[in-house]
Amino acid sequence: MEILTQLIFSGIALGMIYAVIAFGYQLTFATSGTLNFGQGDALMLGALVGLTLVDRLGLNYWLMIPLVCVFGFLQGAFVERIAVRPAIKTKSEFGWIMSTIALGIIFKNVAENVWGRDDLTFPSPLPEAPLKVLGANVLPMEILVVGGAIALMLAVELFNRKTIYGKAVVATSNDRDAAGLMGINAGIVITFSYGLSSLTAAFAGVLIAPLTLTGATMGAVLGLKAFAVAIIGGLSSGMGVVVGGVILGVAETTTGFYLSTGYKDVPGLVLLLLVLAVKPAGLFGKTAIKKV
Amino acid sequence: MQIRLKTLAGAIALTLAGASAAYAADPIKIGVIGPFTGGSSSMGVSMRDGVRLAAEEVNKAGGVLGRQLQLVERDDEAKNERGVQIAQELINREQVTAAVGYINTGVALASQRFFQEAKIPVFNNVATGSVITHQFKAPEHPNSYVFRNAAHDSIQAPMIVEEAITRRGFKKVAILADSTNYGQLGREDLEKALTAKGITAVAVEKFNIKDVDMTAQLLKAKTAGAEAVLTYGIGPELAQIANGMAKLGWKVPIIGSWTLSMANYIDNARANGDGARMPQTFIQEPNTPKRKAFIDSYLATFKPKNDRIDSPVSAAQGYDSILLLAAAIKQANSTDGEKIRQALENLQTKVEGVVTTYDKPFSATDHDAITANIPVFGEVKGGKVVYAYPDDQKNPVRAKTASK
Repeated sequence: MEILTQLIFSGIALGMIYAVIAFGYQLTFATSGTLNFGQGDALMLGALVGLTLVDRLGLNYWLMIPLVCVFGFLQGAFVERIAVRPAIKTKSEFGWIMSTIALGIIFKNVAENVWGRDDLTFPSPLPEAPLKVLGANVLPMEILVVGGAIALMLAVELFNRKTIYGKAVVATSNDRDAAGLMGINAGIVITFSYGLSSLTAAFAGVLIAPLTLTGATMGAVLGLKAFAVAIIGGLSSGMGVVVGGVILGVAETTTGFYLSTGYKDVPGLVLLLLVLAVKPAGLFGKTAIKKV
Repeated sequence: MQIRLKTLAGAIALTLAGASAAYAADPIKIGVIGPFTGGSSSMGVSMRDGVRLAAEEVNKAGGVLGRQLQLVERDDEAKNERGVQIAQELINREQVTAAVGYINTGVALASQRFFQEAKIPVFNNVATGSVITHQFKAPEHPNSYVFRNAAHDSIQAPMIVEEAITRRGFKKVAILADSTNYGQLGREDLEKALTAKGITAVAVEKFNIKDVDMTAQLLKAKTAGAEAVLTYGIGPELAQIANGMAKLGWKVPIIGSWTLSMANYIDNARANGDGARMPQTFIQEPNTPKRKAFIDSYLATFKPKNDRIDSPVSAAQGYDSILLLAAAIKQANSTDGEKIRQALENLQTKVEGVVTTYDKPFSATDHDAITANIPVFGEVKGGKVVYAYPDDQKNPVRAKTASK
């Protein structure tokens, strides 16, 4: 029992990391029907910029977070202007796929040249001694990851529901053209949503960096897993990514223990295929009706 | 005017001929191949720096055969396909006399065949996969051009098992190995060595490069009742193991392959990494004059962080590889690959390196310079690697045992 609790706790911490990145995928999909395939690299950039602020400039960890969020927002807006807007303008169905992947690769190479290709240690802001919870060991940092991820997602949801700007975002995501007719500048809303999505990724980056190692290649695996989570949970449901993330995280740790550590990555991908076959919109997604 | 131009041209031609004669012959090109970026770069860069140091010393002393050594360095990024490209480039375009390097067993196995085909000697001065020097065995291949001065896995694995089972008396051990060529070949060697002692590992687990969560692997080892963890992997993931153990509040000794001495293990595991033990051919401690000179000039030239060589073993083995090669070229009195190979297999002069003094390190059938008696046990302590046993510290230089 104690072991299962331990596996589930570790799985939840891992899953929430996936979920917060997957949440970023959703933000852009809702407003523009496009995805930023450079999410993993946005996370990596956020973590490395955060490391520079903390390590080189001696900034406090908590003060660094808002700065990294600003950086993430600008980076996302940049991606939208350079890579996505031209594709939307020309009504190209898939141009944004290639261009966001391309920008992601460019960011990775730039990061390799600026920070080197070695893995670096991110100093932990919380004590590193584990806490005992229900007989299992949990690091304070893991609790912060789960709490921080949920808080961020709630903040974005609140913003969308309660503020006038948020309502513009929701309107655009419901019907871009109608929103345009109502005087909402859909272009700015889409740029904003890209900024927001990279902001969440950069935030996730500095949250998880003290647990993992920081380096130019850290985004690749995480970005891919998060994408699977976004598909499993559904691209239109905030609840979906949390559930999807936790399912994938727990599936990974429990398979590793009860089956074999060699097959750790299999169940998540099997689940992904199953969801695509049975409920393509995701476990919590709304089925889009497309008339031809 | 015509005549003046002609004399001018003649004069220029004469000066050029004179200049090249004064410069003696062209330099001898030596290829240096290793990962200078990425997860195994602390080994690659230290190796390269050791090689540079040795080449500079050889050149200051007048070079070899009156010619200077010129290093042609290439970054293989620890990728097999890059290694293959580089091997071909060094052979065909740069026309190197010999090559040293290879940190990653997989890269070595994929690329050294080109040197073998071109009959150019190639030195593995870090990669430890046992099969490396047996890749081109008789009778299919009359001669092998692959040499090595690193403690290969069939030396290290029994040492690790000896330390865990015999010296420290553990009965139950778990093996954690990464999923690369290196980890899986090493795991086989570890299992073989355990079987020889009549022991089966209570858990044998795998992890991937870049894995951030080791909970499942460690819990399996813990619930199986392991008293020690034997590892085969590289720095960043080994650090995740040490950190994961601290998280689970499970403290058993880590004993593993020599990569536990990598800077990115020590730095990323910090206090959690203390106490890990691994076989080492060289420990950064100036206990002989030769070693002191090497360490001093390394620190003065490359100024590593905290006066600690990132991977002392790689630096020392890289340094020695150039001394061995220079001695062989001198003895062969030629840059012909065939003759250098023969000279290496029958080296007449003793070569004083920093790992050991090489007295006939290679023979026609044995291309490994390091034997089981040479490596000592190192231990991570306070951010650096020190001698685990005072006996080894008193007896730091051991000679190769007679060839089998």
